[in-house]
Amino acid sequence: MLSLYVYFTLATLLIGFGAYGVWRGPELLRRILALNIMGAGIFLLMVTLAYRPVLQGEPADSVLHALVLTGLVVAVSATAFALALLGRILQKGKA
Amino acid sequence: MGLLLFDLVLATVVLLLAGTAIFSRNLTHAVMLFMAFGVMMALAWARLAAPDLALAEAAIGAGLTGALCFTALVRQPAALDSKVATSLLPICFVALITAALLFSVWQIPVSPNPALSHEVSVALPQSGVAHPVTAVLLNFRSWDTLLELLVLLLALLGAQQAQSSLTLYAGWSLSLSWSRLLSPLIILLTGYLLWRGAAAPGGAFQAGALLASGLVVLRLNQQLTWLSWQNPWVRLAALSGLLVFVLTGLFSLLWSSSRLWLEWPTAYAGAVILGIESFATLAIAVTLTLLVVGEPTEERADA
Amino acid sequence: MSLALGLVIIPLLAALLMLLWPRLARGLQLAAALLCTILATMLLQLVQQEGSQQLFIGGWNPLLAIRWQADSVTALLLLLSAVLHLLVSGYALAVQQRDKLAAAFWPLSSLLLASLQALWLSRDLFNLYVCLELLGMVAVALVTLSGDKAMRPALHYLLFSLFASLCYLLGVALLYGAYGALDLPLLQGQLQANSLTAAALVLITLGLMLKAAWWPLHLWLPAAHAAAPAPVSALLSALVVKGPLFILVLVWTTLAPAAFLNVAAYAFLVCALGALLLAGVAALRTPYSKTLVAYSTVAQLGYAMLALALMLSFNLPVFTAALWLFVMAHALAKAACFLSIGEMQQTLGVKKVAQLKGASQTMPLAMFAFAVAGGSLIGLPPSGGFLAKWVMLLGLWQAQQYFLLLVLLVATLVSAAYIFRVVVLAFDRAEPTAPDFSPQLLPQWLALLPALAVWAMAFFSMPLLAILQQELS
Repeated sequence: MLSLYVYFTLATLLIGFGAYGVWRGPELLRRILALNIMGAGIFLLMVTLAYRPVLQGEPADSVLHALVLTGLVVAVSATAFALALLGRILQKGKA
Repeated sequence: MGLLLFDLVLATVVLLLAGTAIFSRNLTHAVMLFMAFGVMMALAWARLAAPDLALAEAAIGAGLTGALCFTALVRQPAALDSKVATSLLPICFVALITAALLFSVWQIPVSPNPALSHEVSVALPQSGVAHPVTAVLLNFRSWDTLLELLVLLLALLGAQQAQSSLTLYAGWSLSLSWSRLLSPLIILLTGYLLWRGAAAPGGAFQAGALLASGLVVLRLNQQLTWLSWQNPWVRLAALSGLLVFVLTGLFSLLWSSSRLWLEWPTAYAGAVILGIESFATLAIAVTLTLLVVGEPTEERADA
Repeated sequence: MSLALGLVIIPLLAALLMLLWPRLARGLQLAAALLCTILATMLLQLVQQEGSQQLFIGGWNPLLAIRWQADSVTALLLLLSAVLHLLVSGYALAVQQRDKLAAAFWPLSSLLLASLQALWLSRDLFNLYVCLELLGMVAVALVTLSGDKAMRPALHYLLFSLFASLCYLLGVALLYGAYGALDLPLLQGQLQANSLTAAALVLITLGLMLKAAWWPLHLWLPAAHAAAPAPVSALLSALVVKGPLFILVLVWTTLAPAAFLNVAAYAFLVCALGALLLAGVAALRTPYSKTLVAYSTVAQLGYAMLALALMLSFNLPVFTAALWLFVMAHALAKAACFLSIGEMQQTLGVKKVAQLKGASQTMPLAMFAFAVAGGSLIGLPPSGGFLAKWVMLLGLWQAQQYFLLLVLLVATLVSAAYIFRVVVLAFDRAEPTAPDFSPQLLPQWLALLPALAVWAMAFFSMPLLAILQQELS
């Protein structure tokens, strides 16, 4: 029961940290990292929501797990794309 | 009680890692801390009864994302210490919003609406697989998964527009022989993860990510020189997951009784899902590898 | 629903085949675009005759499956995106050699169409998230086709877009946590007016407003839309920003509890006024012609916001009709604007508004297209823009909102000012900017087509209104 609130709080704080990092940067790479941290917070919230039935002795919510898995793939793809763009920008800046 | 203590310690560690990754003045440190953060998150997923996610996070959060971040880090200009001071006002603003969010999150009912979970357990026997997460991903909500494969492909297409040259250095002979030794093992593990997905945690994405990490290691050691988007067979492999998914869906229009999009007949559902997952694994692995390695210009081994 | 399915699958398969055989790309693009337009027309007819169509993907029951629904608004939007895709593809085919359009344009624009169509059809909160993310990534990938100068705007666009989708996802997660469902029609009327629902709706709205570039969250749009190649800017401004708008309307008309509607309406009203006046002034002041058109998108979206605000507070069917008429008229007019400005930029080799001097002489057809499309943006009769504005004025008169009538008038004057800023310069025939090469006729005609289409909308006003009213009865 209490664990649930520990993870709810953790997820929210991660989202807060992430949002701050996205906003203030200062480097683009850090903004990308911060987006990932914010995403991790949201996924953690979803997994914690999925954990609720376990407290009542039932299996965890598999729909939410599947959604998070989809979300993870989307997040990785977006991160990879963002980092590729960043790489190009930095390379051009150096040259 | 012991579990609660574990939760508290884990939460503190995760928070510290995330906080320092964001507030650290040094970008290299931030990237390292972020990778450690990924590993800790995998631990959190495992603790929260989500082994599928723990596997996926371990494969990508710690492995692939880290590799990608380091590639970007190499290109960062030398002055890594940022001079911008953290000012108080934005922190207060974000803290206020976070507090409001926290207040709302705490109001989420502790006992969930059981309707959907119940529906999953009722429909599971007709889905063709025994593991509910796989059933949701490849049967109940397979349209999401198809679109997700498309997102991954798009990341690759987008990244190709932003191609920046990466030079591969001639491999160290030790790492070369190790990578050769490692590759059959990784292929074996990939097959196992994929197969296991039908009944237990595992499945296409975890297997694909694992295979990709093997391919990346080989590719960075200048093996597999044919692995390039210019090669039509590689393109076919990268697109195979989507192609097979869409074609099977179209086939299901003809072949199932109710002629519905993405409806697998119960008798063949298991085989259909395994088929789609195998091609998806291949596609995910090739796409991720191309994403991480890109189209490097190779340095001659004797140079 | 097999028609709707075709609308998503055909462009998707076409894109995959284009990636496999790049040589076939152009033929496949045109064939897929034509086929989609035909299917969308058939679907619209079907929906008109038989009412809205539904599909539960995979045949599972509503709670478990992802729902597709093609009602009359959806059918219109499907047709609109197919038609615009066809027009823009035609233009791109005509200019690809001259403008050195990257080969990746073909599969990416087909994927753009596929993801848009998937978005219009979906009625599942999480599936809509995936569609949004897909749409955002295609849009960014298309912006990068301009090469190095577009990389920075593209990355900013991507970061904004990712942040926005995360906000949306967080909102959806909160809703799922509280109500345990993702299907929009099932959630209809279920939401209670408590702080959890409020937080979820605020997050969803914030994310969608960022994605739809609603004032004051529009900062990423002008740079990204101005940096992209002309056909891409046309698609982005005409269609991509409408996707999140559509979801926003869905969420506020089906999900939101009645107690929240008034507050939301006020918030949207303030944003709408800001967009109409301030973004209009920004369009008036910018020195670059493409940025002008991009700011005009932000300003014009203000009308859609205004219509949404009025829809929520007065619940009059005219405002719903006005909203979708604005969306359609703006999409066609903006496509024509970007294509014609792009054409002039390429031929004259200039970027600034001031350098378009004498364009009516050097490139009369492209200038005509811009002026005609601009006429619809201002709302001159008898254009689609006029139709939308007229319907909205009628509604305002009915609701006795005389202050807003005045605002609408001022906004019209502002949009007239920035359109005439270009047109007046173009008619200044002393020392015109000389073209770099002799202007091509075909692309100019193709740029004119959407502009003519938006004026044709006025002639179909009765059937259009009938279709939009059918939705409400």
